Amino acid sequence: VTVTADQVAADLRDLLAEITGRDELRAIPSATALFGGGVGLDSLAGTLLLRQVQRRYGVDVAAEDLNLDSLATLGTLAAFIAGRM
Amino acid sequence: VASTAAGTSLIKCVVWDIDNTLLDGIYLESGEQPPPPNTVLLGVVRELAGRGVLQAVASKNPPEAAGYVAQLAGLVFAATECGWDAKPDALGRIAARLGVVDAEMAFVDDDMLERAEVAASLPGVLVLTPEDAADAASWPRFSPPVVTAEARHRGELYDDPSADVPRLHELSVRTHQLNSVGEPLTEEELGSMLSSTGHEVTTVRLADDFGDDGLVGAAIGVRVTAAQQAELTVPLVMMSCRALGRGTLDALLAWLCRSAAAAGAARIQVPCRLTERNVPFRMALVAAGFRAEPGSGSPDGRVLFSRPLAGDLPAMPDYVVSPGRP
Repeated sequence: VTVTADQVAADLRDLLAEITGRDELRAIPSATALFGGGVGLDSLAGTLLLRQVQRRYGVDVAAEDLNLDSLATLGTLAAFIAGRM
Repeated sequence: VASTAAGTSLIKCVVWDIDNTLLDGIYLESGEQPPPPNTVLLGVVRELAGRGVLQAVASKNPPEAAGYVAQLAGLVFAATECGWDAKPDALGRIAARLGVVDAEMAFVDDDMLERAEVAASLPGVLVLTPEDAADAASWPRFSPPVVTAEARHRGELYDDPSADVPRLHELSVRTHQLNSVGEPLTEEELGSMLSSTGHEVTTVRLADDFGDDGLVGAAIGVRVTAAQQAELTVPLVMMSCRALGRGTLDALLAWLCRSAAAAGAARIQVPCRLTERNVPFRMALVAAGFRAEPGSGSPDGRVLFSRPLAGDLPAMPDYVVSPGRP
């Protein structure tokens, strides 16, 4: 089964909304930054997100991406995951 | 009833009891929610502190009780004696630490026996009931002629950081998810860092509507000197899991960046040992703009995360209270 980055991004929006309790995150563009302005991910929410990603896709982002550059935006994270499945 | 010494010298230090004095209730018997403050007496504490009169606590309670009251009062006590020693002994240690003599001290306690004990052992000390103390701010002995800005800060300057050593040691042993290196430090190592001029130890205390967690985290930095002010290195950052999800680590990292920049450093670096458990710590580092330098990994698994201190620095949340806020 191949999963596209767009499909992963759709999943990630739902995960983000569930983790943060903010429904409006279901509609964010792919270019939205995950840290700082934008989603404003903190260390707890970010860790929970990566755990769900590992559970769902088998991709250990923290182990493969030292600088967590893949967490720059929703789109970069989706592409990183899709590229490793 | 304890007698009140008829002294005339100015009071330089007031030592307060906590249970049924600064708090309307007993700290250890109040279950999940600590008792509310005695707002009248906390008002007196703040007023006197504002005049440069040192405020201290002597209480038969764990140290957390003093931290809780300090948070309620919004100030740092110049000295705290929490334990089960006799009150005269506690007052003696406070006097020695703050450099005041008996005749310059007042002691406030609701317990008649405690007052009697202090009055008998330390006849120079002005011994007061909480009811007496409510009026104390209007008495001449509590009114220094001139209030200087420096005097207002004396409470903070007198605060004794060595009291934090046991808790810092505990944090270095017990924190994993929010710990940069995951290696315990002994009380001796921490004590020497706290007293050394080469290290700068930043501590974080956390209180919110649900209660007071006391000291939840710390960072140990190598002080920026004029000779090598290019980079501030922070060999240890640690934070209790209780603080996870409450923005505390992010606030500490923002504080480190901003105070290093204010001290003239161009760069800040945090050696971080990558473990499966401290992903949240790495996440906070990255969120604060830190990046690992390519090839900076060392054989012991430490990777050097750093960031420049020019341009946009991480924002300090407005709920952070600190002396010399950068």
